[in-house]
Parts: sequence; structure tokens; C-alpha cells
Amino acid sequence: MRVARWVPPVTMALALGGLAVSIYLTIAHYTDPDLLVCSDSGTVNCSAVTTSAQSTFLGIPVALLGLVWFVAMLALSLPVAWNATSRNVHLVRFAAALGGIGFVLWLVYAELIIIGVICLWCTIAHVLAFGLFVVVVTTAPDLLSEE
Amino acid sequence: MANKKRKSTASKQRAKARQQQQRAAAGRAAQDAGSESTASAARQSIRRPGDRPPRAPRRRRRSRTPWVLVVGVVAVVGSLVVMFLTRTDDTSRGDASAGSIEKLTSVPATTLEAVGVPAEPSNVHRLPSGTPAVEQDGKPVVLYVGAEYCPFCAVERWPVVVALSRFGTFSGLESTTSAPPPETLPNTPSITFSGSTYTSDHLVFSSVETQTRDFTPLDTPTDFQQRLFDTFNVEPITGSSGAIPFVMIGNLYAWAGSQYDPGVLDGKDFDQIANALANPESDVAKEIGGAANYLTAMICQLTDDQPADVCSSAVIQQAKTALPTA
Repeated sequence: MRVARWVPPVTMALALGGLAVSIYLTIAHYTDPDLLVCSDSGTVNCSAVTTSAQSTFLGIPVALLGLVWFVAMLALSLPVAWNATSRNVHLVRFAAALGGIGFVLWLVYAELIIIGVICLWCTIAHVLAFGLFVVVVTTAPDLLSEE
Repeated sequence: MANKKRKSTASKQRAKARQQQQRAAAGRAAQDAGSESTASAARQSIRRPGDRPPRAPRRRRRSRTPWVLVVGVVAVVGSLVVMFLTRTDDTSRGDASAGSIEKLTSVPATTLEAVGVPAEPSNVHRLPSGTPAVEQDGKPVVLYVGAEYCPFCAVERWPVVVALSRFGTFSGLESTTSAPPPETLPNTPSITFSGSTYTSDHLVFSSVETQTRDFTPLDTPTDFQQRLFDTFNVEPITGSSGAIPFVMIGNLYAWAGSQYDPGVLDGKDFDQIANALANPESDVAKEIGGAANYLTAMICQLTDDQPADVCSSAVIQQAKTALPTA
């Protein structure tokens, strides 16, 4: 079954946007947190988030994890991947979307509840990841139910 | 009787004719559909009176699961936002349960003995030899300069109170927390020295909290405190230029910052920390107790090993050997 024509370009755009933001956050993580064009006081405070204990997961910067995830989602959003006859491709995309949104929920919890401030750029990445999640999970039943 | 038999025969003939008509109709229907139907298929198409009309082919029902997932994610995020917007930042003074302060000021000597000391004291600097005695009323002075908003002050006050409680008595201590987000280590539970008093036969504890947790001015350092702070909290001695907390043990040791890993306090409230202090197996007791033991060893040097029961303990003697020398 072929997906709707809008699905590949939309998911590619979301993944590309997320990738760009992740690259920006990763560079800031490894160089200077103040590189981010963002407020550094009040409720929106990027550097408070990107330098917090929650900015790494198992020792890996979450910005880098986001970058890797968006690269994978970009590959899985190419037209050739959407039109793949192998059910496994669609299964991997579905699992990646679920795992990604799960991690996003943890990061949102960390920002709002643990750290108490919001990172603007992180939130943009989260919204793009949520967009990918919505498209992937709503198209998954048709793709995964095919013989 | 004969009449009745005729009626029965006529009825059977009508039924037979009706069946033949129905079979013929079914056969035509099958032919019309171009189907390779068998007699069985033809029989299936026979509708008897009372049968329901055949259903139109049903469209496959779309699963609702994806939208349940999407709505679930939105609900979780919405809940987090509501929690964020309705959070209270007033986790300040007096949040400790009754008795928690007392637990802090009376950590059993056996617990402090059991936790021992880290291999070497962290962040402690020996004051230059020749530094004049720092005394008030003929007693050596332990100085603390900090602020209630300051997270590392919050971290450092725990071992300071534990150690000093072995040499004298606090009164008027209140629990507090460091500044709320977006400050580093927000809302770290602690005690404030503002408004408290300390009495001891062995030393003077001179403390000042310069600002509240919301950064408004609180207590003003005395000239004595300010002079010590300006003279000894300098790069060559403490490695900082005026950072707080600043702690000075007479004319022997000084440091700016905390002595142990603040991470052990992460996620714990005042009561949990106070309770954990009594358990020598807990990380809290090891970190705070270890730092308190080093503080005790430093103060013992200042008080000529008084009181003897405190300063002669094995762990304090061990700690003394690891302290930096001039």
C-alpha cells in the first residue's frame, strides 16, 4: 500500500528541521552554551537546561542523541522508505517514533518539573519530533497490516 | 376424505413448482454474474422469506489506536504544563518536620565514626603560616559567610552544623531551601544561620547570610567578618575571588564552595536528608558525615583537641593526618 502523497515530503521536512535544530544544540553543547540565541533568565532559559544534569543521558549529550534520531528519521522518511515493500522498514519507523516521543516526554518532564525552565530550541525540536510521531503512528496501521 | 387428499396433492404440486422457479431464478442470477457458481453457490443465493437482505461489503474499520497514542502524548504534556504553571516556589523556611533539626544537631558519634572520611578533604586550603590568630572573646573563630539563595551554601551548611554541634549548641536554626529555578541546584534543602545562635565553651561561630533565597538583602556582615572575607577569600588562598560560601577555621584553613558532591542531596527533602544522616550506609551520611569529620578534625586543631571525647576518636585522628599542611 502506498501512503498519501503528502506523507514523505512532510516527514522529510519535519526530520530536516529537527536535524538542523539538533545540530545547533549539539554545537552549543560542545562549544559554548551561550551560543544559543535564547533568553538566559526567567522561564525561558536555554543554557540552564543545556548545562543541567539532565542534558546528558548515560553520559551522552541529549542534543547528540536528538541529532542521531533525526538522521535516522530522515532516512526512514525518504520516499523509497515509505514505499518499501518490506514490513520491517515500517516497523522500525514506528518503533523509532514511539521511542523518540517517549524520550521527548522525559525531556519535557525534566525541563518543566526538575529544572523548572524551558529551553526554546529544545522545545522546537520536541514539537518537530511530535509532528513526526503523529504522522508515523497514524499511517502505521495501514502499512503494518499489509501482508 | 377424497377432497382432502386432492387438496394435499395440489399443495405439494404448488410447493414443487415454487422450488423449481426459485432454482431457475438462482441459476439465471449466477449466469448473469458470470460466475462459475456451483449448485452450492446457487443454493446460498436463495433467499427465503424472512432472510435478511445481503449486506453491502463493509469498509475496513480504521484503528483508533494511533489517535489514542497521540491524545495520550498530548495529555501527558498538558499535565506537565499544568504542574509547571501551578508549582509553588515557597519551599522555604520551616518546611522541616518537628525533630528534623534535632536529628541534624545530634548525629550519633557512632554514625560519624562508621562513615569515616574520604581519602582526602575536598576543597580545603591551609592558610599561610604566620596568619595571626582569629579570635573573639578569647576563643578561636569559625567563620561562615553565605546567602540563603546560594545552592552551594545550602550544601555546605549540613556538615558545618553537624560538626559544630559536637563543640557547642545551636538554637533558632530553621530549615530553608536555596533559590528556585532557574538557579543552579534549585531548591536545595538546608538550614539558615540567619536568626540562629551558637554557644560553645571552645569556640565562636561567626556566621552571616547576606541575602534571602529571593535575593533580597538579609544580614549585613560585621566589620570583623567583612575584613576576614576580604583578606582571606582571595585567589592565592581559596582559588576564588569572593565566592560563597566562604568558611574559615580560625587561622588554619579556609575554602570557598562546598566540601562534597551536592548530587547526594538531589531529589531529597529536608526530612529525608536528616533521616539519612543517621544511617551510616547512606550516601548522604557518607558525604555529609565525611565532610563533617574533616571539619571536626580541623576545629580540634583549633581548640587544642577539646572536647577530648570528640577529638580523640579514631576517625578524627585519622582525618587529621590527611589535612593539608602549611
